Amino acid sequence: MELDDLRRQWQQPEPAAPPLNQADLNRLLAPRSDGLVERMRRNARLETVFVVLVAVAVPPLIGFADNFLLRAEAVSLFLLSLVLLAYYYRKLKMLRLMTRLDGHVLGNLRRLCAGLRSMLRFNYRLTLAMAPATLLLMYEYVVGQELARPGGVRTAMLIGLGTAFLAAGLLLQWAVAATTRRYLQYLYGQHLDRLEASLRELAEPAPTPAN
Amino acid sequence: MPAAAPSADFVAALREYQPLLRRVARLYCQDADDRQDLFQEMVLQLWRAWPRYVPQPNAKLSTWLYRIALNVAISNLRQRTRRPAPTALDAEALAVAQTADSDFDADDRAVLYRAIGRLSEVDKAFVLLYLEDRPYEEMADILGITQNNVRVKMHRVQEKLRSLLVPAA
Repeated sequence: MELDDLRRQWQQPEPAAPPLNQADLNRLLAPRSDGLVERMRRNARLETVFVVLVAVAVPPLIGFADNFLLRAEAVSLFLLSLVLLAYYYRKLKMLRLMTRLDGHVLGNLRRLCAGLRSMLRFNYRLTLAMAPATLLLMYEYVVGQELARPGGVRTAMLIGLGTAFLAAGLLLQWAVAATTRRYLQYLYGQHLDRLEASLRELAEPAPTPAN
Repeated sequence: MPAAAPSADFVAALREYQPLLRRVARLYCQDADDRQDLFQEMVLQLWRAWPRYVPQPNAKLSTWLYRIALNVAISNLRQRTRRPAPTALDAEALAVAQTADSDFDADDRAVLYRAIGRLSEVDKAFVLLYLEDRPYEEMADILGITQNNVRVKMHRVQEKLRSLLVPAA
């Protein structure tokens, strides 16, 4: 029994499929949301809306801030939102490319693997950067309050608090790194592993004939 | 509901090539629900890509369709049905082209299908294109590899299938 036997049967004309009516077409073409890329696109759009809201809401606060450091903090937040906007623009563009499936299979696998890999790497780095950035903003706020204090700056308190923030930051960073890695692996890692295995298999070159 | 009504040429193409898409789905999914799900996903992706399709004198529409169908099947990024793979194919899969062929009965077919089911997604693409009787040139165009590579890999897939069939024979 060989594949050729099956091929002979495979090529026999099949019973005609029932014609598709309008209801069938509507059902078949209804947007679906359980795909990985679709889900990533939907999440990225929601996050973009949130970042746009922050980017729009923060500039007026810069004007209202009553001291330099609060203003600096608002500026930092605004700059951070601009960086995030650039990131989401790039991410949405990449996700759009990942939904184009009319190229050959090898090219599509390469694009998907590269896109997913780069997205996961960026997500991981961004998440890691968020914890120290938040702590820094908090510490910046405390320093601002201290500088504005009529009684003068309590240097020892600031150093102690800075050390506590640093220790908390290191601990947090370790926890965030471990959790994020596991979470991303759970969400996307299995898909990426499967795609990369397929890519390796298809991209493997044919052996050159021996001389 | 879809964003826009499908064009008449898309509907005509879908009617003509629906069996092709169903055959791809049948080879990749043994479970009926998964098969319908994959078929629906292929149709949806085809519809999304349709505005970009430009008929060319030397390119067949079927080649373009095979690319989309196989891309969807291989890179199926959906949450897969979490149930164990069936050990036997259901009636629909086994009913494939059950024409008179005395020396190739349903049991043999089931064994062969089971062996195909154990191949990787990429190997299944080779099997599908072989069963569809696509020439090496078109296979290379669909898969994005050289004809020589297609020939070598096709040979390996057949060897693999033979080795999978040996213990069951």
